[in-house]
Amino acid sequence: MFYSPVITNAAEAVKNEKLHLFRFVEDSEQVKIGTYEAHGGYQAWKKALTSMQPAQIVEEVKKSGLRGRGGAGFPTGMKWSFIPKDSPKPRYLICNADESEPGTCKDRVLMERDPHAVIEGMAIAAYAIGCHRMFIYIRGEFNHSIIRLETAVKEAYAHKHLGKNIYGTGYDLDMVVHSGGGAYICGEETALLNSLEGERGMSRIRPPFPAIEGLYACPTIVNNVETLASVPHIINRGADWYRTLGTEKSSGTKIFSLSGHVKRPGNYEVELGFNLKKLIYDPAYGGGILGDKKIKGVIPGGSSTPFLKADMLDVNLDYESLAQAGSMLGSGAVIVFHEDTCIVWVILKLIHFYRHESCGKCTPCREGTGWLEQIIGRIEAGGGKPGDIELIEDVCGNILGRTICPLGDAAVMPIQSAIKHWRDEWQFHIDNKKCMVKTNFEFR
Amino acid sequence: MKDILKAIGRAVFKTPLGFLVTLKYIFKKPVTLDYPRKKKPMAPRYRGKHYLERYDDGTERCVCCGLCAAACPADAIYMEPEENENGERRAKIYEINLLRCIFCGFCEEACPEEAIFLGQEYEFSNYDRNSFIYTKDEMLVPHPRKDNPFKRIIRRVRRVYGVEDTK
Amino acid sequence: MADKQNPETGGQATVTLTIDGLTVTVPRGYTVLEAARSIGINIPTFCWHPKLKPVGACRICYVEIEKFPKLQVSCATVAMDGMVVHTNTDQVKNGRRAVLEFILLNHPLDCPTCDKGGECDLQNLTFAHGLDDSRFAFQKYRFVDDDMTTTFDDKRIGPEIILNRNRCILCYKCVRANKEAFGEYDLGAYERGNITEINAAPGRQVANPFSGNLVEICPVGALTNTDWRYKIRVWLTKTTPSICNFSSSGTNILFYKEDHKNKIYRVTSRRNDDIDDGWLADITRYSYQVITSDERLIKPLIKKEGKQVPATWEEALEVIKKRLNEIKDKKGGVCIGGLASPSLDNASLYSFAKFLRRTFNSNKLDYRQDYRMLPKDTANNYSILASQPFKIAGIDDSDVIVTFATDLLREHQNEYLRVRKAFNFKKARIFVANPYAVKTADVAELEMVYKVGTDEIFINAVCLAALEENLVACPDRADLKKKIKPSSLKDAAEQCGVAPETIKIMARALAEGKKVTFIAGELLTRCRDREIIASALCNLNRLFGLNRKGQIAVLARYANSMGAVKLGISPEPVPALKKELEKIWSGLPDTEAYNTDTMLVHMKKEEINGFIIMGANPVMLYPDREFVKESLEKLDFLVVCDLYETETTALADVVLPLAGWAEYAGDYINLEGCRQHAEQALKPRFEAYPGYEILEMIADKFEKKLFSSTEERESEIDRLLKVDTTLPWPDGFVEVKTAEIEIEKDYPLALFLCDDPHHCGHLTEKANSLVNFCGEAYIEMAEEQARAYNLNEGDSVRLESPIGKIIVPLKISEHLDNQVVLVPRNFTSHPVTSLLMRKRRIDWVRISKVAE
Repeated sequence: MFYSPVITNAAEAVKNEKLHLFRFVEDSEQVKIGTYEAHGGYQAWKKALTSMQPAQIVEEVKKSGLRGRGGAGFPTGMKWSFIPKDSPKPRYLICNADESEPGTCKDRVLMERDPHAVIEGMAIAAYAIGCHRMFIYIRGEFNHSIIRLETAVKEAYAHKHLGKNIYGTGYDLDMVVHSGGGAYICGEETALLNSLEGERGMSRIRPPFPAIEGLYACPTIVNNVETLASVPHIINRGADWYRTLGTEKSSGTKIFSLSGHVKRPGNYEVELGFNLKKLIYDPAYGGGILGDKKIKGVIPGGSSTPFLKADMLDVNLDYESLAQAGSMLGSGAVIVFHEDTCIVWVILKLIHFYRHESCGKCTPCREGTGWLEQIIGRIEAGGGKPGDIELIEDVCGNILGRTICPLGDAAVMPIQSAIKHWRDEWQFHIDNKKCMVKTNFEFR
Repeated sequence: MKDILKAIGRAVFKTPLGFLVTLKYIFKKPVTLDYPRKKKPMAPRYRGKHYLERYDDGTERCVCCGLCAAACPADAIYMEPEENENGERRAKIYEINLLRCIFCGFCEEACPEEAIFLGQEYEFSNYDRNSFIYTKDEMLVPHPRKDNPFKRIIRRVRRVYGVEDTK
Repeated sequence: MADKQNPETGGQATVTLTIDGLTVTVPRGYTVLEAARSIGINIPTFCWHPKLKPVGACRICYVEIEKFPKLQVSCATVAMDGMVVHTNTDQVKNGRRAVLEFILLNHPLDCPTCDKGGECDLQNLTFAHGLDDSRFAFQKYRFVDDDMTTTFDDKRIGPEIILNRNRCILCYKCVRANKEAFGEYDLGAYERGNITEINAAPGRQVANPFSGNLVEICPVGALTNTDWRYKIRVWLTKTTPSICNFSSSGTNILFYKEDHKNKIYRVTSRRNDDIDDGWLADITRYSYQVITSDERLIKPLIKKEGKQVPATWEEALEVIKKRLNEIKDKKGGVCIGGLASPSLDNASLYSFAKFLRRTFNSNKLDYRQDYRMLPKDTANNYSILASQPFKIAGIDDSDVIVTFATDLLREHQNEYLRVRKAFNFKKARIFVANPYAVKTADVAELEMVYKVGTDEIFINAVCLAALEENLVACPDRADLKKKIKPSSLKDAAEQCGVAPETIKIMARALAEGKKVTFIAGELLTRCRDREIIASALCNLNRLFGLNRKGQIAVLARYANSMGAVKLGISPEPVPALKKELEKIWSGLPDTEAYNTDTMLVHMKKEEINGFIIMGANPVMLYPDREFVKESLEKLDFLVVCDLYETETTALADVVLPLAGWAEYAGDYINLEGCRQHAEQALKPRFEAYPGYEILEMIADKFEKKLFSSTEERESEIDRLLKVDTTLPWPDGFVEVKTAEIEIEKDYPLALFLCDDPHHCGHLTEKANSLVNFCGEAYIEMAEEQARAYNLNEGDSVRLESPIGKIIVPLKISEHLDNQVVLVPRNFTSHPVTSLLMRKRRIDWVRISKVAE
């Protein structure tokens, strides 16, 4: 039925009014426009276009407290309001569907199973910023999502939700589905813009910010799939309803991709402020650790966020609480490690990924990640030398905050936290040339 | 008569006394050297005539980077680089004017490739000025090299002066 | 630095900030780096280049700015009011040291073999800021290709470029310059992470006309020149400022020379923002090899019994004296004429004119060796147009730029880059109108390819569009319609084959533009009907008021073309100049004035018997080679001075070796009328002498000294150069005649002679590096056209005109369209001028495939 059989909590979402994103994802007919419309689809788009002013929409989204779900958590409404009002240039909306952070697979579910929600959200956002041509930049490997979205866009054109003179308002809107080449860096918005322009996917220096000079040097807004998929519900039910979800500062719901050593890895939509421990151990969600072992640590927001140790797990999943705990919400990819995982090995895998995905533009990230991989690889292989930990810390310090885009930070933050939390294990590895934990086995 | 005998006696008994120093040294190790048949061994760090080293596979170490010439306080080194068949840089011309050279050893110190060394040879006399300009071919150690360059130089000196090589 | 565009000049136009305790006020839009450099605080950089947009890749230019939590890169941080910047704190030093450590991780320590050693940014900065030890304990990464044979991992990626990727520090300057400034895409970055590499595009060579710049801006030895490879260390060379002899802009260059060997090793740019922006075309960079080549003329040659034999200067001068005196006595001095190259310096050109006019009382002299059917005097619209003031830097801030009848990439590479820059930084609207498609169109809003031979109709169409759309407020615009044909835009557009809508867009842009630059070029100058086209352009100028809100000019082609005009080397100088010359020489000859064309005609009629050619090669460059040859052969006595033996020297009775431009000091006047001085870099090689000395020696033989001293010569030149040679625009609109265009039956294609982008004139094929780029002539045509003749790239093509034929290899062009073929004229082996007819406007040819 589905290309990717991912466990979701759609059953709960059907019962629980609040969980709006996942309500229909287990419905195999949802990808068809008829079913989507029957489920109340495109009402928000119609409402926005026929009865609301762009400024009103921006205001509504601002009021709802919706924040970017791609990782940085920037308030969406505020981002939209950065578009210069009097610029004569065309404006562009880009949906960032280049989901490639290790552990994250939430956007893919939305695109594959509810593509029209994404299109509707994009359309509303496009209208809000006055754009007539919007792009969705999908990761090249997501072949199935691309097919689904292309079909959905065709259907939307056929049903006159897109195209010329939509709903007789005289508003034109075109949509382009663009598939990327499969580079992690292209999830960074300026690199995405470069890639979309046909250049090498390398991040641009800011300022100018994309909202001022983005795609083809025109004002551009880049939003995550999940962010945009939330927009129709805000328009339908109002910002006040949206504010009732989640916590005061982090409103709304969020999809968490639970992976690692848990019994039921999958995508779970929960309100922000949900307890992390509950997410991992509740039978409705994670269902506990594989083999009922002890938990060692968790990466709460995708591979680029710092670790949480086992004793820090009683934390609420929202932007503020996680920041207080020393980590980040990120893209909401919760990766769980149990006690038998060698932390050096985990870090080696992560830094290998970042070394491979570094775009090669700025020096610290390009050379630093390569060096770190070599040092950590040496430790893992039993060739660690005294002073290696300090060297790693120093190199990390030289990369952190010194790069153009956040990839450099993303690469070193987990390393720094891993050394902070499990320094003894690193030292053991160097001194004894073997893992401190019992085994060193592959991820399942 | 007595005077005569006295004189003879003095001659017989006192003269050897005068040769005493000489006689003493006859049985001692001589302090001078049988130069040029024998050479004075130089201290290991003596700075004599330059030689150019090779790698073990016989390629020249010198890449003609020009640092020795730049370091040379006497401006004694002239060089021109060229590209060999492998695309490598090497010296087309490498000349040291030993009349200008002050044997300070800066070239040796400046050399990043450990190509140039100041050897042990100290005999430079020649018949015309041009002969003092040593070219690359004269300075390169031969390949394959059988022994260390010091011995090689000593051997060459012997050959020059017609002394049999002891093998 | 002032290139930064300044979009929102909100409030005042300057900002004031504090850098290291010093307060500095800079224009808004300056970056912190530029502000710091303006007060002499040096911040190290690798990836920053003054003429490129900042990229912030190398991260060495860290500064600490108060209230910013992290270190900022100064090259990309715009200076703001009240910023407090520190460039020398411990944090900054640590940041720089860290970046240098990162860069050196995989940088090989092969400085001894690296050609950049001694002038390498990385060497210098490591020395200044870096660590003396490495903490990197792993094998350095080596980039190796399967097909690589060299030990040093060097890879040849272009005719003159060698790439060593191990040394590359990925500042992306080369890729950016190639793309942004030159518009070329043959170099790019491939792979990711720490194995990112710069490389030529797959299957391509980096052979664009600006490729030498990539080597020059490389901060390390990753890109090196084959030309400079393993020749000499930079600290052993001396530099001499000079001027390029093959570009009419007078690009500023530096010769790197070695005095003992009397040899030039390379050329780099000497940035002059008013002229060249620091970019050199390859022809400028490598043309010094023309001088250093060993094929040069060594001694004077004298023709004895039909053979040229070496002789001494004294003998040669005696022969010249004897033979010219014979002609002078028999037929009078007026039977002696001369042709000088427009690439000679002011002193030589002026001496040349003074020698002919004073010694022989002859007005038969010219400097134009390649333009057919020239006007004799200056009372014409073409001369008016060509005399208009022009500023190269004025292209930068134009908002509308039109290039008409010119292929900038082949003729004016410097201006080509300026046009691209105006597009990149100012978003200028570029319009390109030409009888064939050109590369400038890459940045053009509209490219208009009009039919061959309809130049004036196209210009008329633009005027008509403005009239019909009522775009202009010129008071007497009603007159115009009577003076031009056809009288409606529709007809005109149809005749020139351009859609009326596009013409209207261009007319609107011309009318709306606040600063318009209108550039015309060689295709206008070379055209037989240049007067007709120039008349149309005068009307255009008057209608749109172009000279008041910008500039309109025909660009001069050679290094000192403007000097030749300003010093009166033409048969009839401009009236103001004539007056001044009369004053200086106390009287001018009033004999009949002939230009190149009429001189050749009269030679054939044996009315000119003695001729002096200096640096020119009319046999190779003047249309109708046979005609020129016959004319020159009819001469009683021909003296030719040149650097090499050429087709023209072969006909000479006396050949004198001329010194190249680097071998003497001289002044040149570039196309904007700017006088620039080139210093002497070398002693003249062999027995060559500079032009002015040769003329002085000949004049001495005639016992009529040209100048009593060098100072006298210079002061006379100074006086002449003060004369304003700008001619006034005609009053009112002028009549545009209809040109007669001959059509040849069976010859369907129009042939355009051009210069290869890597060549200019007849000398550059002696420069090895330039020959590596392009070593032989080719015929360039559209792919479609080639397919119609069943031809493939590289096939030999027979090119025939009614009077001649040549065989050249085919080169398929990406952008040419049908009916037009291009052939470069720079190669001795392919005498393409033998196809041209002297009196034609269009040269019709036909092609056929040569059977194997």
